[in-house]
Amino acid sequence: MDPSEVEFLAEKETVKIIPNFSLDKIYLIGGDLGPFNPGLPVDVPVWLALNLKQRQKCRIVPPEWMDVEKLEDMRELERKEDTFTPVPSPYYMELTKLLLNHASDNIPKADEIRTLVKDIWDTRIAKLRLSADSFISQQEAHAKLDNLTLMEINTIRAFLLDSLNCMYKLRSNLQPGSSKGQFTDY
Amino acid sequence: MSDADALFDDGSDANQDDSQEDVMTPAELIAKLEEAWLNEKFSPELLENKSEVVECVMEQLTHMEANLQRVKKGDAKASVHRMEIDRIRFVLSSYLRSRLQKIEKFFPHVLEREKSRGEGDPSLLSPEEFAFAKEYYANTETYLKAVALKRMPPNLQTVDMLKAVPEPCLDSFVFLRVKERQENILVEPETDDQREYVVDLEEGSQHLMRYRTIAPLVSSGAVQLI
Repeated sequence: MDPSEVEFLAEKETVKIIPNFSLDKIYLIGGDLGPFNPGLPVDVPVWLALNLKQRQKCRIVPPEWMDVEKLEDMRELERKEDTFTPVPSPYYMELTKLLLNHASDNIPKADEIRTLVKDIWDTRIAKLRLSADSFISQQEAHAKLDNLTLMEINTIRAFLLDSLNCMYKLRSNLQPGSSKGQFTDY
Repeated sequence: MSDADALFDDGSDANQDDSQEDVMTPAELIAKLEEAWLNEKFSPELLENKSEVVECVMEQLTHMEANLQRVKKGDAKASVHRMEIDRIRFVLSSYLRSRLQKIEKFFPHVLEREKSRGEGDPSLLSPEEFAFAKEYYANTETYLKAVALKRMPPNLQTVDMLKAVPEPCLDSFVFLRVKERQENILVEPETDDQREYVVDLEEGSQHLMRYRTIAPLVSSGAVQLI
């Protein structure tokens, strides 16, 4: 899956905005939005929030977890634990990137947040590499991946799955008379 | 444009795929489409077609577009509606495209499965996809004949497509999220000195395992590939 498609899915998450215009309720196929009144916060999907922001029609309220103190706690916990800790949003990385790139003037301490989220991401990816390594070396057939986000899975997907397929093919060809690997892919 | 909600009632009778979901809200319909999109993207084999969902989504889109035609230019709401339509259309075309890619990749096996399917079983392909697969088969055959086969010795002039084209590899690993709790899923051992064992799949948990083990759960909707 292309990372931009994961970002596409992240854009469906809702975020609070404070509009500076007024508009009646909008009846979208995916649900109703609004009504919009200047100064009154309202929940909209991220794709709309970013569009309105680019046209300078609103101010984005950062999600609660996008806060230096909370993220620092998370970073500590993530470094202390061996397993993956629960993340505040299944799209924490994508949302941070989208909101910071397009609305950094609405987010206090944007640079610190960027660094913190990057630190959390790096710690988690390092753990992910380690566990993928032990998954392969122990020749496991099942792994539980709770608390991993789609973007994290996606960074390792192509490499891990292709390697597993290759190893499977090599192994099944070792057993004489097995036709399993014969007509499989590439 | 406020009749966008009401419009679904006209299309819902075409949507009784499983008898349990007679009426879906448009939002649920879009969620269904997205599920189907991700499942199709990540499963190694072609899944059952979801033509009811595709048709209903198309109907929603055309209806909304027809409504937008009547709106005067520069309307703030119209631009939001257009953006939503574009997003839905992207998912829809990506879904259909990934199905076509699989049909092109596995066409003899897809046609074979379609042939051996029993009376009354749900069809793997939509009528359009079936026509596409048949045509693709015929064209490939003609092409191979014209380019190489007819210059071969007579005993080598036929080719068995089922053997010539790779089968989908059902033993690939997939990532999945559990939507309905499942018990006693058998995990086959990787090597001979390991034992098989069973796992329970808790609702909301995520796993990495072989597609073959959980293929029925994907088509029943109990797990979502991610």
